[in-house]
Amino acid sequence: MAAKVLLKNDHIEGIRYYDTYRKHGGYEAAEKALKMAQADIVEEVKKSGLRGRGGAGFPTGMKWSFLAKPEGVPRHLVCNADESEPGTFKDRYLMEFHPHTLIEGLLISSFALGSNATYIYIRGEYAWIVAILEQAIDEAKKAGWLGKNIQGTGFDCEIYVHRGAGAYICGEETALIESLEGKRGNPRMKPPFPAIQGLWMRPTVVNNVETLAAVVPIINMGGEEYAKIGIGRSTGSKLLSVCGNVNKPGVYEIDMTISVEEFIYSDEYCGGIPNGKRLKACIPGGSSVPIVPANLLFKTAKGETRYMNYESLSDGGFATGTMMGSGGFIVLDEDQCIVRHTMTLARFYNHESCGQCSPCREGTGWMYKILKNIEGGKGKMSDIDLLWDIQRRIEGNTICPLGDAAAWPVAAAIRHFRDEFEWHVNNPEESQKRNYGLAHYADPIHVPASA
Amino acid sequence: MIKFSEERLKKVNEIIARYPEGKQKSALIPILHMAQDDFGGWLDAPTMDYVAEILQIKPIEVYEVATFYSMFNTKPVGKYLLEVCRTGPCMLNGSDDIIDYIKEKLDIKEGETTADGLFTLKPAECLGACGYAPMMQLGEHFKEHLTKEKVDTLIAELRAKAKN
Repeated sequence: MAAKVLLKNDHIEGIRYYDTYRKHGGYEAAEKALKMAQADIVEEVKKSGLRGRGGAGFPTGMKWSFLAKPEGVPRHLVCNADESEPGTFKDRYLMEFHPHTLIEGLLISSFALGSNATYIYIRGEYAWIVAILEQAIDEAKKAGWLGKNIQGTGFDCEIYVHRGAGAYICGEETALIESLEGKRGNPRMKPPFPAIQGLWMRPTVVNNVETLAAVVPIINMGGEEYAKIGIGRSTGSKLLSVCGNVNKPGVYEIDMTISVEEFIYSDEYCGGIPNGKRLKACIPGGSSVPIVPANLLFKTAKGETRYMNYESLSDGGFATGTMMGSGGFIVLDEDQCIVRHTMTLARFYNHESCGQCSPCREGTGWMYKILKNIEGGKGKMSDIDLLWDIQRRIEGNTICPLGDAAAWPVAAAIRHFRDEFEWHVNNPEESQKRNYGLAHYADPIHVPASA
Repeated sequence: MIKFSEERLKKVNEIIARYPEGKQKSALIPILHMAQDDFGGWLDAPTMDYVAEILQIKPIEVYEVATFYSMFNTKPVGKYLLEVCRTGPCMLNGSDDIIDYIKEKLDIKEGETTADGLFTLKPAECLGACGYAPMMQLGEHFKEHLTKEKVDTLIAELRAKAKN
């Protein structure tokens, strides 16, 4: 079933402007929230089961409840709009076409958390979106939803857009805070967590764009109603950005009950794979999450249907499953080369490592170099084991999760596609002329009878 | 002498006012963007020193930030900077061919500028347009769904624009 929650007014022309947004129910959640006690808003978010939409999936209400409230110290809400995970462009869509949903979500969340100065940290490359957001902020301010004494409540709130300058690492919340303080984006050691000492050492909550936008329907519907959408601990709707080899790349909203197979092949979503090609592999949650071959995508190792939600996608752990991640859904058809694709991701992480921790700074460089050799027909068989060894030594040994994010794609590629790497090593010349192809990656998996 | 115009200085002060008193360093990245736009598309030492002076911070604090972020150019670039994404999703949709085509067409290598000073080609890592691949960033805008024909048209337009 298609859940239209965040994008329910997607078809309405001019929905990015205040008057149209207001006419179609906009700022009704804000009206309601401003009459509520702050703790009750947090309670509704807790009840909704909303999990952080940036990739980690941490329960939002719980994150909010960690916020320290020392007397006389200002607190801040920061919106993480540094969307940089390869495959992910959903926040861009939301900000570009539904800016007021974000602004309304920010106002409600700022009120709930007591943030009088809220910042949207947007990746530098989304330069034109800055103007869209600033216009929405101006409109909201003129209508009395921002500024001093909002709607007579005595609550003051300003929202500022802060543009970054090109650094994937600034999507990590402590690096983002450092960057917002005018420094290099080097992640901080935790603890202290931002909820205690964040921006300018003040208590800070950092949430993703989609997460904060989801606060609007949560207040409108009530947390319990919102939690009825979806399944299990995957409540509410989720935006997915689809790219790679599909007929209809773009941004889709789902309610996390549909199967992966339906998502790829139904006309409502991806519309299948172009030119009648067959599916080879998929990275369902942004480049950092494990790539899975076609035969583990539609069914779990136990032979059960795999669904588009947090639990089902991670069924089987990293051995046979993957993750929901940021919702950056990357599809690879039978003509794609796993080694080359992995090499581009290794290059990405090498480029984006902040350089603070040795395992990541050095390890990402080595992985890129080795993958480039294998891809170029200059690899040795021992390189594959070396790659495995390097990724293992990065994972878990760095201050921030960029190390893990760099290690996982390499590990998963070797885990599931080792024979394709070996084929490159054994056939250095042929591998420069053609791809390994689909091979056996879509063959049905033998499911052992349950014990 | 490097100096923002009066109008731009007003904007600079408006940006500084977004942050608490004494935290004016937070305005560094937004102001470096303005400086790069106003003073020739890249940041030389005198420009960075000027920004340091405005924000009352040490020049080294500006240098370390300018060298960290990929959007700040610490070397001269052409009038038009073509930043073509080449990460996974764009690669799946033929970004390598687009990069090769631009190299051949403009007769430059990656990171180089054409002799007439008009174009610099810079391969970029994921820019957040994966569903509209292949793509490039040109100034403050994205050019998406690139084909060789689109590259031809774009380059012709930019050449014509530079003449006027």
